[in-house]
Amino acid sequence: MTQNLLAAAAITVAAPLLGAAASALGFRRGSPRGFAVAAVGVSLVASLTITLIWSMTDGTPLSFGDRLGSGTFIWIDGITAVLLPYVALVELAILLVAPRRSLEQTSVTRLLFGAAATFALFLTSHPLAMVVLWIATALPTWISVRSTPGGSAAARVFAIAMVTALACMAVGTVLLVIDPPWAAAAGWVGSAGGWLVAIAVMVRKGIFPFHSWYPALFTGGPMSTALAATMPQVAAYTAVRLLIGHYDHPEGVAAELVVLSQMALVTAVYGAGLAIVQRDLRGLIGTLAMSQSAMVLAGLAGTLPMELNGAFCVWISSGLALTGIGLVSWALESRAGPIRLDTPQGRFWDAPALAAFFLLFGLAGIGLPGTLSFVADDLIVSGSLDEQLHAGLLVILATVLSGIAMMRGWFHVFGGPVAPDGPRHAILPRERVSMTALLAVLFMLGLWPDPLVRALDRATGRLLGVASHDVAAPHDAPAGEAAGLQDLPDGR
Amino acid sequence: MTVHDIVSLLVICQLVAPASTIVLVGVPALLGRPLAERTTTWIIGSGFVAGFVAALITLTVLSARGFRPEVVHFGTWFSVGHHEATIELVADALSVPYVCFSTGLCALINAFAGKYLHREPGFTRFFVLLAMFGTGMNLMVLAGSIDVLFAGWELLGISSTLLIGFFLERGNAVRAALRAFITYRVCDVGLLAAAVMVHRAVGSGDFERLFGNDWPNGICLVPAATATIVSLLLVFAALGKSAQLPFSGWLPCAMEGPTPSSAIFYGALSIHAGAYVLLRCEALLEQAPLARLALVVIGLSTAIHASVVGRVQTDLKSMLAYASMTQSGIIFAEIGFGWRVIPLVHVVSHAILRSLQILRSPSALHDRHELEAALGGHPGADRWSIGSLLPTAVQTRLYRIALDRGFEEMAMGRLFVTPFRQLLEAAAALERRWLALLGGDAGPGRGTGGGRP
Repeated sequence: MTQNLLAAAAITVAAPLLGAAASALGFRRGSPRGFAVAAVGVSLVASLTITLIWSMTDGTPLSFGDRLGSGTFIWIDGITAVLLPYVALVELAILLVAPRRSLEQTSVTRLLFGAAATFALFLTSHPLAMVVLWIATALPTWISVRSTPGGSAAARVFAIAMVTALACMAVGTVLLVIDPPWAAAAGWVGSAGGWLVAIAVMVRKGIFPFHSWYPALFTGGPMSTALAATMPQVAAYTAVRLLIGHYDHPEGVAAELVVLSQMALVTAVYGAGLAIVQRDLRGLIGTLAMSQSAMVLAGLAGTLPMELNGAFCVWISSGLALTGIGLVSWALESRAGPIRLDTPQGRFWDAPALAAFFLLFGLAGIGLPGTLSFVADDLIVSGSLDEQLHAGLLVILATVLSGIAMMRGWFHVFGGPVAPDGPRHAILPRERVSMTALLAVLFMLGLWPDPLVRALDRATGRLLGVASHDVAAPHDAPAGEAAGLQDLPDGR
Repeated sequence: MTVHDIVSLLVICQLVAPASTIVLVGVPALLGRPLAERTTTWIIGSGFVAGFVAALITLTVLSARGFRPEVVHFGTWFSVGHHEATIELVADALSVPYVCFSTGLCALINAFAGKYLHREPGFTRFFVLLAMFGTGMNLMVLAGSIDVLFAGWELLGISSTLLIGFFLERGNAVRAALRAFITYRVCDVGLLAAAVMVHRAVGSGDFERLFGNDWPNGICLVPAATATIVSLLLVFAALGKSAQLPFSGWLPCAMEGPTPSSAIFYGALSIHAGAYVLLRCEALLEQAPLARLALVVIGLSTAIHASVVGRVQTDLKSMLAYASMTQSGIIFAEIGFGWRVIPLVHVVSHAILRSLQILRSPSALHDRHELEAALGGHPGADRWSIGSLLPTAVQTRLYRIALDRGFEEMAMGRLFVTPFRQLLEAAAALERRWLALLGGDAGPGRGTGGGRP
């Protein structure tokens, strides 16, 4: 079982990495979509294999390789098993829907390299490996935005944010490793490390007041880059591995997490509010993504399994829904140019199929019954209200505002008078297939959420160190391991 | 097979029949192969008829057993810790007659709309939304837990919004749809918060643990304070859907939608969704005099307001909207008075009359001409009204107030909407300046677009 998991993990990372290398060497220079899709498709299958194998185990995390601080080089647990296929699906959908002119050789190389780095990050809990992978995931994004015509300003904003985040992350991680606060009484070094990592997470996740790069990336950069950089939520994963469930705080979370949680709540409301008054479609998607991403962090910093569970569900549901909306917008923009939201644009009769997909993704993002977001909202609202009244009220407010922003967006893009001789934009089969697949996942998980919620319940129970279904102690892989149980995050 | 099994199957049929038609008609359209008009109306109509027949048989079975409620458990939808979302439906003296009524009405509207919207662009969209509405309605009515009720409630809101904005090319329709959606969304907070409160109070959302399932003889099983808070939240939620003060402004605008949907939503079913939820939770209201007082005050205020404003409307559908609002207000007051059967009868009778009036409204001139032709002249324009008893100065003042729709919209706009919007606009402007500072003079996304994808 362990060997199979390791093999699947290796394939998940190696396939896009090989694809990136092949693309860099000029393989199929003219039409790189086919092999890029094949590479990420292999990663999707391998990640689903991890999920399948994981569902047959007793829930014991798999650690493999060198240990440093709180993590090991390869770490696979319930969270990895749930999130890895999600990331692969997002990457695959981006490659399938990308307009032809956006998929030239260099951009495919960057996309595949970024995907491989993201997969690798989701398979590790090693602090230094995370720092390296943060750089590896940020670099292709920055290059891609900078090389976009008119994208230099966005690239600059992104660079300022990422350099700050990476510096905080690197120094903070080193301090955490030197003086691990979860192993003994926290000294000031470990505490400073925790705060620096928390600041890094805030910057990388676009939490107020470090949020500006998030909408800027959508408005100034290519859609593929913006989606691939934001939807996997690398910083949230880092927070899960490096911060959550590690400290012996009276309430079970560190002081850093309390601050993170409060700022995330403010950002969730602020982002949703900003989304209502956006003047263009990309601004809307950027601010909504910022709000939803903050909502995830707010839930992750909670102390109740329900809150954490809700946060992971929001992570997946909002990620898939916003990816869908982003892809629809991208398809629409590639045919009709930039879309304004000041006044109704009347695109419905030009592109009725895209309008239908936008609407369904939008509804799937704001809690339509029968979709995963309905379950996610239910869990995160109940969990937040159970923990703190003001947190629950802010989550509700953010949900209300993002719903209004989403529907305003739809009505302003597709409603309004239409030119009688306007061109009709048919949807391409590959676009239809990938959008339908994303929707199918959202509806399937919404109508039958129990397996996902149970899997997350097991994983979140372990994170919080509370009794949950079948929480088992972590064990090491048979070969090459150095991790000791007592030092692992969950072994406290 | 026991009676319970039979009732369970019938209840499932009432839900699945209209829900399956959404997939049958919607999926081909989504895949770019919409069905023919006749096939569409036939499939959607069959779903409603099947639901109606199932409800009718259930009603017969229940009446033979003295309307003893049957609770249908579908198990747990999902659960985390103590939070458990159960799928539970209830067939009782309130839900089953209401499903008969709502599915029957939906079937009639389906038949009417098949002709009315012939060759209308968006024909399939209308019927998918109608089926979604029917499913949401049945889900809400049959709900045995607040989670299921909330799911149905949300489906009603979304289908209502999309049907108000059905004629997407009209600016007014888009604005009206957004306005209705914002009102729904704000008021839905009440139901969401009530659901959380119920979970905290009894550990699940089941009505059985909250007040039993013996409508109309339910007994409140939670403390009075909890009952009061939950009731007030439910009242708040109901205000939006049922267009009660101060959330009534969206209803006249909602008549921008196609006539058949206006008839079933704002003349018949959607407008009474709030009243239905309050009737379902009447045992809670019984323990919450404050909430009942609020219902009476708001209901009567809305009735008076809508009655006065409705008299000066210059188009028929707006007049009918205010008439609906008036009756809905009276129904709220009746529920506040603690009556159970009277408001239910009022809901059904008002819904039938009003939907008929709205369906006939496009032919009103034709009807009038036919009447005049039959009578050989005008049928008498001067009607006595209670307003004529008031002094002329008061009549003039009331007329002025009515023309401005009671200043309700103006007050809401000045007190809440405009300041909130200005705040957000100011924040967005600050964001743009900050980005310009960070990214250089142009700022990200300024005048770039062309090369971005």
